[in-house]
Amino acid sequence: MRQLPWLSLIIFWPLVAACVMPALRGDAVACRRFALLAALGELALCALIAGLFAAGSFGPALIEDAAWIPSFGIRYSLSLDGLSLIFVVLTALIGLCCMLASRHDDRERPALYYGLILASLTTVQGIFLASDVFLFALFWEAQLIPVFFLIGVFGHGDKLRVAMKFFLFSATGGLLMFLAVIALGVLSAGAPDGPNFALEALTRLDIPQNVGRWLFAAFVLSFAIKIPLIPVHMWLPDAHTEAPTAGSLILAGLLLKTGGYALIRFALPLFPEAAHAFAPALTVLGLVGLFYASAVAVAQEDVKRLIAYSSIGHMGLAVAAIVSGSRLALGGAVLLMVSHALTSGGLFSLAGAIGERLGSRRFTILGGLWNKAPHFGAAFLFCVLASAALPGLSGFVGEAMIVFGLFKVNVLAAGLAVAGMAATLVYLLRLARDVLYGPPRSALPFPDLDARETVLLSLLAVGIVWLGLFPGPVLGLAAEPLNAIAARVWPGL
Amino acid sequence: MSAFVVAYFPHLCLAFGGLLVLCLSMARSVPAGFYPVTAGLFAALPGLWAVAGPQGGSPIACFYAGLLSVIALATIGLLARYAKRRGFAGDALYGLLLWSALGMLLLADADDWIMLAVGLELASLCLYALIAARLDDNLGTEAALKYFLPGAMALAVLLFGMALIYAASGSLEIAASLAAPGPLTAAGLALVLIGVGFKLSLAPVHLWTPDVYQGAPAPVAAFLSSGSKAAAAAALLHVCSEVSPEAKELLWPALAVAAGLTMAVGNLGAVAQGSVKRLLAYSSIAQMGYILMAAMAVNDGGGEAALFYLAAFALMDLAAFGAVGALSAEIGDRDDIAAYRGLGYVHPWRAGVLAIGLASLAGLPPTAGFVGKFLVFGAALSAGYVGLAAFGIITAVVGVFYALRLLAALYMRESLIAHPAAVYATGPAATLALGVMAAGLVGLGLFPQTLLGTIAALFGGA
Repeated sequence: MRQLPWLSLIIFWPLVAACVMPALRGDAVACRRFALLAALGELALCALIAGLFAAGSFGPALIEDAAWIPSFGIRYSLSLDGLSLIFVVLTALIGLCCMLASRHDDRERPALYYGLILASLTTVQGIFLASDVFLFALFWEAQLIPVFFLIGVFGHGDKLRVAMKFFLFSATGGLLMFLAVIALGVLSAGAPDGPNFALEALTRLDIPQNVGRWLFAAFVLSFAIKIPLIPVHMWLPDAHTEAPTAGSLILAGLLLKTGGYALIRFALPLFPEAAHAFAPALTVLGLVGLFYASAVAVAQEDVKRLIAYSSIGHMGLAVAAIVSGSRLALGGAVLLMVSHALTSGGLFSLAGAIGERLGSRRFTILGGLWNKAPHFGAAFLFCVLASAALPGLSGFVGEAMIVFGLFKVNVLAAGLAVAGMAATLVYLLRLARDVLYGPPRSALPFPDLDARETVLLSLLAVGIVWLGLFPGPVLGLAAEPLNAIAARVWPGL
Repeated sequence: MSAFVVAYFPHLCLAFGGLLVLCLSMARSVPAGFYPVTAGLFAALPGLWAVAGPQGGSPIACFYAGLLSVIALATIGLLARYAKRRGFAGDALYGLLLWSALGMLLLADADDWIMLAVGLELASLCLYALIAARLDDNLGTEAALKYFLPGAMALAVLLFGMALIYAASGSLEIAASLAAPGPLTAAGLALVLIGVGFKLSLAPVHLWTPDVYQGAPAPVAAFLSSGSKAAAAAALLHVCSEVSPEAKELLWPALAVAAGLTMAVGNLGAVAQGSVKRLLAYSSIAQMGYILMAAMAVNDGGGEAALFYLAAFALMDLAAFGAVGALSAEIGDRDDIAAYRGLGYVHPWRAGVLAIGLASLAGLPPTAGFVGKFLVFGAALSAGYVGLAAFGIITAVVGVFYALRLLAALYMRESLIAHPAAVYATGPAATLALGVMAAGLVGLGLFPQTLLGTIAALFGGA
């Protein structure tokens, strides 16, 4: 039996669905249903592949490879190993959540709205699956386009300026990385098998130290903007605040993760020497981000903006762990990223729900929501606690692994990380207090969660609890690829 | 004799087609639709000739016959209804178009300095007239004059440069004369490059470009920017590939400065524009900076990269200017960026073509512009122009910005009542042309190997 092109199916199924959307443009309900079905299909497909993968049908990695632009050694090559699989399933899950979270943003032009969400799923899946660096760069640039329109057309407030800011920040990094990718191709032209963009072959390339550092800097700048690492995080609070709920979910749940994933998958193995050289700087930036984000988050007046800043802190911690040189912390970083996608996804959906019900998300009109809407309150508190890394919930495992890992390699960094995590508690508790407790400051009614929102949050909650109690399977999936990368970057480990 | 006919079939077709169209007007009762159909027929023949893979045609002639055939056909398609509605359709329009294409073809495959000058001037003279085709349009007349006067100056500089080269080498053949050593050749070459650079709108001799593009009718601007740029770039590539090492050492630093300046001026200039045609003009200036960068690396794979980029660029500008024409009402062109607000929803197809053209100009995937940038910057890096490439990439970010500005106007702002969204009925030819351009841009972005393989097959042996 000839094997199905599973990976291409994962990538292009949402895009095909997006192309069908315009046919339904007159009918908002049909659009919703179709988009939901498409997202369910994608999740089912990913679950099926995950099952087959766990059963060992594919061996260590599932690979698709075809000649694409042979004159330059560019191949259409995709590969799925345990690490990619985690993020691929996560993408499908967040995609489903996006469909569930959108009831108030899609009133105008529903076909375009859902089409853009589906298209962005395609580009993100492409990033997680590409194993040809040119293909990766293509998806990396392409992912900006649907999100740009999603924010610009369906966002709130000063959406146009925010969308431009997002795009220009990302494109600056993306184009510099693009140049670095070209440079890699040029460097590989002298290799025995000619010009080549396969990640595997490029890692074996002998790059001069000086050149390697420049290329690493270009790659990391691009990833740092996406992650976002301070001081290139400026686009994120605005983008999160003005984006529609699904846009925030995609940004926090997927785009930020592409940055962390690409750092692990591409930047580290391609330039191990430069990774060592730049590790202290990246650690400092990540940890400073943790404190900085906490300090700024406390001062925010908008729920979504506060959650946006919390992303900077969490992802900063993940970056510090990724470059730390500890295999334990590296696994923790992967877990933390997945956990962050789930918890921030939940928080952003709930913040979106607040905005839909009250017309604003400012703290001045919130308070007392627990009494008004107990289910909403419970869900909100659950997500806040998961974000604060309560034991038993997903955040805890990741953060614990990172701290243990850091202690082994760098006590100072580990101490700062712990202190930084304590600092995050300040704003998270403030978030819970000002939203849920105290006297209600708005006379508007606040209906409790409806069935759709309950499904959405239950999905995320199951993920959070599962990851918190049984992280083993996920860590097991990531173990082999991470071992390979760690062995390459830190051979003595 | 027959070998001559086969080798020069495209030239003969274009020349004869132009004549025939002009002669047709002497007949009493020629239906107006006859001119574009005849012109289109003769414009298609060089393309068929190129596809057939003739014996005796040089690779560059083959490539350009195909490319110019596509450009001319698309222009005729875009012009047909446009010109009719605005009352300037006629024999001269289509005849001059074919002859201009003939001039471009001669310019592109000239091996001889005189032929190069003749081709350049034939192409330009016809273009001067085409730009002023709308007699009742003052802006067009002014644009033609603004193109003509500096153009004549540039021709003088070019001819003087050729004279110097001839004086130094005693040969009119491009390859042989450039091989001659000495400062006189280098000085002549510098003047030639300035003359060609004018036609390519390389900074600092680019100043005519925005005015002319703004004044010209949109389909003519599309033809001007895609065809004449492509042909002049072919001449530039030819000259650059034959330059002797010592002249190279002398002139290349200046070319590097010109390339950097062109990219910066084009991209930065576009940001400040409120007029869409001027914005596209500045963006085409910036694209020529990338071409010049590839031309400097012509012997390190830059030639193939530049040819691919030129083909992609021709599609981009035909799509963008064609869509501007198609989005216009019965009078003039829709020019103010504010007048494009919300058009993406009112006219999704025409605005979609403009959006794809802009995305490609900005180098976004999955369009031809993305692959083109990859090739051009790859060539520059392998030739060792690392600083120039880095500078170019940074200016490209600015290029993304103005493309987004127009895209944002199309899709993210509600339309203003002051600017009615009404457009004229473009007719099937223009619709087909726009569709083919958009499909070509995406197709080249996803499957560049088809064109790359063709280019490699044509030039690989040589």
